[in-house]
Amino acid sequence: MTKIGRYFKVKLSKLRRFVLLGIIILFLLQFFGVKALVGGLTGSVAVWFVKLIDVFAYFESLIASKDFTMTAFWAVLPAIALYLIFGRAFCGWVCPMDFLYEIVNRIKDKRQGSGVGSQKKTIADKISPKIGYVVAMLLIVISALISIPFFTNYISHLTNFFRTLTGGVFLALDLPVEPVVVVYSLSVITALLVLEYIYPRLWCRALCPVGKTYGLFNKVSLLKLKFVEGECGECNLCEQMCYMNVKIARNIDRPGLRDTNCIYCGRCVEGCETKGKLIKLSLKRVKEL
Amino acid sequence: MDFTRRDFLKLSVIAGGALTVSSGLYLPRIFAADKELGPLPGIDVGGLIRPPGALPEREFRSKCISCGVCVNVCRVMKYDAIAIAGLRDLRNFGTPYIKEMRDFPCYLCMECPKHCPTGALQKIEKEKVTMGMALIDFGLCFGWNGDICLSCSKACPLGALVFDFHHGTWGNQPYINEKCVGCGLCVRYCPLGGSAVKVVTRSQYAIVKEDYLIKFKRLMAMPDEERYAVVYGQNLPEIIARGRLLEREHR
Repeated sequence: MTKIGRYFKVKLSKLRRFVLLGIIILFLLQFFGVKALVGGLTGSVAVWFVKLIDVFAYFESLIASKDFTMTAFWAVLPAIALYLIFGRAFCGWVCPMDFLYEIVNRIKDKRQGSGVGSQKKTIADKISPKIGYVVAMLLIVISALISIPFFTNYISHLTNFFRTLTGGVFLALDLPVEPVVVVYSLSVITALLVLEYIYPRLWCRALCPVGKTYGLFNKVSLLKLKFVEGECGECNLCEQMCYMNVKIARNIDRPGLRDTNCIYCGRCVEGCETKGKLIKLSLKRVKEL
Repeated sequence: MDFTRRDFLKLSVIAGGALTVSSGLYLPRIFAADKELGPLPGIDVGGLIRPPGALPEREFRSKCISCGVCVNVCRVMKYDAIAIAGLRDLRNFGTPYIKEMRDFPCYLCMECPKHCPTGALQKIEKEKVTMGMALIDFGLCFGWNGDICLSCSKACPLGALVFDFHHGTWGNQPYINEKCVGCGLCVRYCPLGGSAVKVVTRSQYAIVKEDYLIKFKRLMAMPDEERYAVVYGQNLPEIIARGRLLEREHR
């Protein structure tokens, strides 16, 4: 449990879902004319004033148009500031795919009769997460060649998730919308869920360029994994709970860990035998990291 | 229940197939342009009518990240004018455009360019917007066929700037000049079934401009007997036929 968790007696995993639910509800409220959060997670306007743009989408748009604009720059600054504080926490706390993936994994566990976190290692686990940087670079090169933000416009799970939402609402209210957009976006999301069923978290860990970009912020972000000196039973539960394959147990004697793959979901904190005394999510400064 | 990976693969193939089929069912609808009776059937829209303040097509496509801010800003403003482009032209996929001007035109509130985070829509004044160009179908317009109708000019947010009237025996004869920004409010408020005004893109206007002007000048110079034959012989039956379309629209 974190500090917040201690005050409100909420488990991290629950808190995480509350945050996600809250953000999705804020986005849903826009269909009823509430100006709290308008747009989607690729780009949005908060409280009708602060423009926000996804960092990877910004780079793609920048490279595709080969033109720097202050509008986009001012939109990406608050996003960068957020990630300088929270690092890759976006993936674990805000990204709707994380929730959908968890459901898929629950279904899979039920079908196969095994407990959460004890899934068989697939061939996907051998794929180095570093391949994501190659994918991201490739996508940027494609964007530059065709002068269209390729990933963000066509493949992105965030764009497609919110296109499905908006499209669905517009279809239901009989407003102008091309049904093919909804069908396409829904197909992409379905395809990603199928991929998740076969290769758990391959998308998050190795492929998703959005997460990879945020992962870079992990190296400097305020939020980090902090290890408190104490008795580690070497049960390895933390690593088993972690679906991003962060090597926690073998780094436990260090003061903390900055891993580009860590999404700060807090499953290691909850999984630990010591119930959160050994591993912590910390915003405070940690020495010698 | 025994559920193996093979079962799952089968299921996913079925699901994928179903999705493909369902999108396939939409394909004819996508490619068959709306056959509804519209004005100026000979002139194509010529692309997508972008939201106000859009950059030129190429730059617009390269900047737009399909985040949906403009769509939802329009929704929050309760105009619902902007839709997302589908697969008709892959380059335009995911980009916003004004889809149905007859029902949901742009009201030039200029909130979407104000909130676009990418700079694909740029903040400009109302008068300088170049979304498109409204063309009046002289064969269908009440004002060109013996009537006095000012609906379009009353709906126009720019009003006197845009409308030239050539009053005469045959009606008040409105003409929309090149200061038109293409918001489509005139399309919306035209009392004729299916509207007598069509908004085309600026590039399309450059192509059809000459023919359109020739048509206009010919009508203006036409002797009364010939004009009588045109109005009563061709135009009025056509206009009356659209009455039923208007009924359907109101329903």
